[in-house]
Amino acid sequence: MGEPVVVGEEVWKVYGAGDTEVNALQGLTVEIQRGEMVAVMGPSGCGKTTFLNCFSGLDAISRGRVLIGGVDVHAMPDAKRSEFRAKRTGFVFQAYNLLPVLSAVENVEMPLLISGSGAKDARRQASEILNQLGLGDRLGHRPSELSGGQQQRVSLARALVSHPAIVWADEPTGNLDDEGSRQVTTLLRKLNRDYGQTMVVVTHDAEVAAGCDRTLKMRDGRFIS
Amino acid sequence: MVDSTLVVGALILAVVGVIALVFALGHRLALRIALRNVRRGRARTVLLILGLLVGTTIISGSLIVGSTVQALSVHYTYLGGGYVDESIYALSPTGGYAPFSVAASHDVALAAQGHPGIAGVTPMIIATTQAYDHTTGIPETALNLIASNSSESGNLGSFMSTSGGMLSGPSAGQVFLDDQTAQALGASVGDSLELYGPTPIGVTVSAIVQENLRGGYLTAGLAPGNVFLDLPTAQTLENLSGHVNFIAITNAGSQQDGIALSDTVSGYLNTTLATIPLAAGLTVHEPLKDGIAAADVSGSSIQTIFLVLGLFSIVAGAMLIVGIFVMLAEERKGEMGMLRAVGMRRRELVFVYYFEGLVYAVGSALAGTLLGVLVGYFLTYTFSLLFSSGGLTSAAILQSFNVSTDDLVISYVTGFLLTVVTVAIASSRVSRLNIVQAIRDLPSPPPPVRLYTTLGYVGVALTIVGALVLLPNAQGTSDISLPILGGGMMILGLGLIASRFVRNRIAFSLVGVALLVWAGAEPLHRVVLGQAHTGGIFIVFVEGILMVSGALLLYVFNSNTLIAALLRVAGRGARGAPIARVGLAYPGRRPARTAINLTIFALVTFTMVAIACFGATVQANLNNTIQSETGGYTYFGVSTQPIPTLPEQVANNPTLNGEYAVTVPLISGAIQVNITGSTPNPYTDSLYSAPGNQSSTSSFYATSQFPFTATWEGWSPSAVLAELASNRSVALVDQNYAPATSSVGGGPSAPHPSIEVGGLMELTPPGSSNHLTVRVIGILSQSVLTGVWINPGAAETLGYSNETAFLLTLRSGVSTTLASQDAKREFFRDGLVLFEIAQILETSIASTEGIIGLLEIFVGLGLGVGIAAMGILALRAVVERRREIGMLRAMGFTQRAILKTFFIEYSFITLLGLGIGTSLGILIVYNLSTSPSAAASGVSFFAIPVLNIVLILVVAYGLAMLAIAVPSIRASRIPPAEAVRATE
Repeated sequence: MGEPVVVGEEVWKVYGAGDTEVNALQGLTVEIQRGEMVAVMGPSGCGKTTFLNCFSGLDAISRGRVLIGGVDVHAMPDAKRSEFRAKRTGFVFQAYNLLPVLSAVENVEMPLLISGSGAKDARRQASEILNQLGLGDRLGHRPSELSGGQQQRVSLARALVSHPAIVWADEPTGNLDDEGSRQVTTLLRKLNRDYGQTMVVVTHDAEVAAGCDRTLKMRDGRFIS
Repeated sequence: MVDSTLVVGALILAVVGVIALVFALGHRLALRIALRNVRRGRARTVLLILGLLVGTTIISGSLIVGSTVQALSVHYTYLGGGYVDESIYALSPTGGYAPFSVAASHDVALAAQGHPGIAGVTPMIIATTQAYDHTTGIPETALNLIASNSSESGNLGSFMSTSGGMLSGPSAGQVFLDDQTAQALGASVGDSLELYGPTPIGVTVSAIVQENLRGGYLTAGLAPGNVFLDLPTAQTLENLSGHVNFIAITNAGSQQDGIALSDTVSGYLNTTLATIPLAAGLTVHEPLKDGIAAADVSGSSIQTIFLVLGLFSIVAGAMLIVGIFVMLAEERKGEMGMLRAVGMRRRELVFVYYFEGLVYAVGSALAGTLLGVLVGYFLTYTFSLLFSSGGLTSAAILQSFNVSTDDLVISYVTGFLLTVVTVAIASSRVSRLNIVQAIRDLPSPPPPVRLYTTLGYVGVALTIVGALVLLPNAQGTSDISLPILGGGMMILGLGLIASRFVRNRIAFSLVGVALLVWAGAEPLHRVVLGQAHTGGIFIVFVEGILMVSGALLLYVFNSNTLIAALLRVAGRGARGAPIARVGLAYPGRRPARTAINLTIFALVTFTMVAIACFGATVQANLNNTIQSETGGYTYFGVSTQPIPTLPEQVANNPTLNGEYAVTVPLISGAIQVNITGSTPNPYTDSLYSAPGNQSSTSSFYATSQFPFTATWEGWSPSAVLAELASNRSVALVDQNYAPATSSVGGGPSAPHPSIEVGGLMELTPPGSSNHLTVRVIGILSQSVLTGVWINPGAAETLGYSNETAFLLTLRSGVSTTLASQDAKREFFRDGLVLFEIAQILETSIASTEGIIGLLEIFVGLGLGVGIAAMGILALRAVVERRREIGMLRAMGFTQRAILKTFFIEYSFITLLGLGIGTSLGILIVYNLSTSPSAAASGVSFFAIPVLNIVLILVVAYGLAMLAIAVPSIRASRIPPAEAVRATE
């Protein structure tokens, strides 16, 4: 640890204008170190997901600066930012967001293909990581043929396969039962420890947060601890 | 009197309305939600109505085009028929009307006085004459001579001069000319004319009359023109003192009333004629009633062609309705799940969609009907531009544009019911949902096993029904589309049964292949179904639907393999690989949904390409057959007076001898053909016979190059002609006698007897007791010179000797116009008229091209369905895949990449649909044009109009891409942060 992967400086996100103006993020400043696993918690509507979207470059910010690996994410045009996301970030969402028409391995190899990897190499890497996550026998299965836990593992594999600088996870256990939730939490932690993968996990789940190195608590668009 | 169609239509609507009202009262909540859904998005409602109205537009357009053609035919029938409801005459062996004593006419008039339905009896002479205008120096041949006494012809109406004055009829020594004749002669009132007949006479033009009921009699204002005379002058001209050759009967009341009385009056006259000795041999005819019946047939034939070809678009429209409702259901899945969760029963949900669909159906059927009127007018307008010529004016065609209440009611009710029934089926389908999956937007699990059991029962039913349709019609002369449809149903039924026991992919892939082979392999039909079946336009629809279904089943159950192959190719370009993979994954992995759009595009393209190929094939064959159908001759000529020495006269005339290489005289006249078991029987036709003692350049047997579509025992044309020259008991017939075949357009189109080679026919000259039985030894492929050709000795036996028909060939390099004028001048007194055979065929080609062009435009309307379907599918995809699009953006897809993904996906669907439609459209025309029955009809060429097809494909693809452009751009601009969590 020690080297910051993500640096947020006075990040504001304002929705609407005038009477309807809402400050979703109010001058957030934060550093996330390489290999760190950070949980972001807070009540509904406190700005957790907005934080993730803005810091990951999915959404624009109103003011401030977000650096990932020293690169100002919001200074890039959309196309460059897309390329940056493809190569440097991974995402895990509550609803898995797998492409239903692609098989597990096809979903996982997609970021590699987007980054320009060859088809064979992408398939090999995707198969390897799915094997590591215990889905070696589900490579050709479509999302609808997998359980929720299995889908989330595919989603994790997809986020990790291109060895991103950081993985952003938004309520990764939100759709899972206790057992599934436990499995995914353990897996996240294991991946963080074994591979030093930097992770930011937005969650409501105290157990998930307990497994993280640090917990950032939010309220009304601000970190309160 | 209240129109029965209106009553039936109103009754149907009332029944549907009452049922809807009962449902509404019993399901008020569903009604409220449905009405709210209608109001909640006006733009969407407009889009839905546009999508739903296509079927109605096609029905409405077809009916209106048919009605307009019918109205046009009726217009000219009334114009040409005048007030002659019945006519009494006997045909002479020369083909004209045989003269009879004027006393017979007076006897008829006396008898008619006792019948309330008869308003008048007019004795007439109707013949053909030629005129020479001494003032202008212009001659004209082949004019109708129509003569009657003014005092007896009041019931036929008055003449109207071009200045608008009403005239009763010409006096002795005077003539009235109609516009056509006056124009041809350059004649004005006061001009001196010489009229030619057995006793040429000089007359003065006393009036030029308009082509109204009286002036347009027989010709309806079309060429050739009329010359009206008084009866005594005509009797002098025709050497028919004390005789007439025609009795015109006028029924009481208007023309329409007269037609209603026609059968009664005709029956009465037949009875009366039997009691008049002088009237022996005369028969009663109903020209006006028959003409109107023929007009009805021509109108309904056009309607049928437009409707059958429009059926593809109607089916496509129904698929679109299903697609629209599935889209609505997908969009509202969450709220439907919630409604079910809070206690609404599935049945209520069905009613929500049913009521909503009902509202759309009311609006779309109305809009579709009205749009159909516009389409009908557009087609009529195009028709008026393409086909107006001579008396058939553009204005007359446009005036015939006819929107009847019946057409509007039928269109509205049919369109409404079509929409409501499809909506009801779609509602039932989309209301089946799993509450949890709907609320949580989870993917649907595979269908339960019981579905396949149900489908198995459907399969059994289909197999039985299919067998019942196929087996009784497998052999015989029924319309071939019946056994083919039955076979198709059996294949599908057996496939559904098999799907219960083997993998769906295997079962339905086999069904797909079987349908393609069964409907697409024409030789199979000959082997299994024989060659005696008749065929019509409906076969195109049946085979088209079966083949398109087969192709789609193959796609649906093998899409993965196809996509994998495509991806292997696309995957080679690393940068485009993820875009191609995502773009192709949707149509590949959701084949059933894709099939709706594929079906729509395939059906519409199939029709358009089939029509284009059909047109090109017909044109290619006509172009080719111009040479063969002319028989090597330039002109076919007819004369009003026999010219027994025409070859000699031509040879002795230096000008004509330098122009004409071949001059073949033909004995000709009218003949009654009796073929046992044929309809109509007897059939009055032309008789031709070529004299045998001619020089090599005047002998038909030495100069004819007419090809045959069938000959006795496969004889060569020269052997057939040699037999005809020497054998009194054989005959040749024109192509119209060829038995009906299973090729579209094959066989006689109007009532016409048919006969096989080797068949016997009895020939009887009109009004004669002579008769001769001959065996048909050849069927000519041409149908320009229609009739029966017999041996000259046989013709003589039957009493024919007048050489009044001719075949002439020009020397190379001679102007057809000049040579025709020279011959016309030389043989003017004989009334020789020459018809350029190639020109007749070229006119036929132009008409065919025009009609095919109109059909192409009409079925092109179906493209609207495809384009709407594509737009709707794309809109639906944007809503449905919002989260997936967000994820792709999160993973690094740029906006452009998302846009490309959509274009690849819809290009694939469009191109595949276009590919299926194009290949099958070409295949069906190939089958139709290369079958033995087509060959028997003289079709020997198959043509693919490459440019035309490319144009169709480019326009279809371009419009489809235009339709998806807006949704695709919308998809690419979805902010990823919103999309990844969206559950809209």
